[in-house]
Amino acid sequence: MILAKLALGFASTIVVASVYTFREGTIRVDVDEHRDGGSHVHFWVPAAAVPMAMHFVPKQHLREASQHASEYMPLVEIVTTELRKYPDTTFVDVEDGKNHVRIATAGNKLQIDVVNDEENVHVAVPLSTVNDVARQLAADAPGI
Amino acid sequence: MNRIVRHISRSAVVAIAATALIIPVSAIAQTTPASSTSSSTSERWLHVRVTSSEDKTETVRVNVPLEMAEKVLPAINKDRLHNGKVKFNDHDFEGVDLKVLLDAVRSSKDGEYVTVQSNDADVRVAKQNGYMYVHVTEKESHGSDKHAKSSEKSKVEVKVPMKVVDALFSAGKDELDIVAALRALSAHGDTELVSVKSDDNTVRVWLDSKNISD
Repeated sequence: MILAKLALGFASTIVVASVYTFREGTIRVDVDEHRDGGSHVHFWVPAAAVPMAMHFVPKQHLREASQHASEYMPLVEIVTTELRKYPDTTFVDVEDGKNHVRIATAGNKLQIDVVNDEENVHVAVPLSTVNDVARQLAADAPGI
Repeated sequence: MNRIVRHISRSAVVAIAATALIIPVSAIAQTTPASSTSSSTSERWLHVRVTSSEDKTETVRVNVPLEMAEKVLPAINKDRLHNGKVKFNDHDFEGVDLKVLLDAVRSSKDGEYVTVQSNDADVRVAKQNGYMYVHVTEKESHGSDKHAKSSEKSKVEVKVPMKVVDALFSAGKDELDIVAALRALSAHGDTELVSVKSDDNTVRVWLDSKNISD
């Protein structure tokens, strides 16, 4: 009986932890190279893990990244904040027969799809995650 | 002891039930916008569509909410664009003082200001019902000089509300205020702003309240 109760407690803890981890959705990356021996990368990670993981990145590396991206981070922050206000939309869609590039939002995620003869790349990132990362990088930028 | 265990297990059951309830709610919250294909009527969207005349599969489609553009543009400070304004030099317009020209157009009555008809191109600049029109038709000559027939090579039609033009030139002498122009544009109804038809491409720039291009 006690074991059953412990198992229930353990299971509920895992469920609560999972819900907490996945509350912001997942980041999904799919890369398929069409050439022989080309790489196929498919992975998804909980979006909540990214801002947490950034705390473990050495400050020096973070500062370097911030330095390179500082010019664009406020822009990214504004764009991702604004995009959340709008319904799902295809913002940019470029097709030239062989290549297809699409930037869209779907379910609070930013989706970037690149399809061509050489490779297919599909990236889906929650807007809140991009916003968090941009804010963090902007905060770590030198001189702030 | 038993009471404590019972209390913990009851709490765990409540937690599981709560999370089971939260998951679908949060899933719905994330997917709700997905079902919507058109935005609220107060939102104004700027659409750009470029279609290749030769290959119909070559297309560029851009859909941007004006309100977002108004907020994003001031954050871009690169080259001549600063704080939502673009700097220009006099030699960009080959010595033509655009402000003076615009003042002249604004204070004039509706009518055609420029009409040029030549073998190469027809140009028409007019002001009518609060809009400024610029139409340029480029021509192509066929046959010998005497019996030459001309056909349309490209056709450019620009229709801009005068209030937008005013807002565009509302900044300093050598600046175009893009953000002010967008703000003025958002007050207008559905409008086709630019239409270009040429041998290579068809370009359309228009404004409406839908977040999808037709």
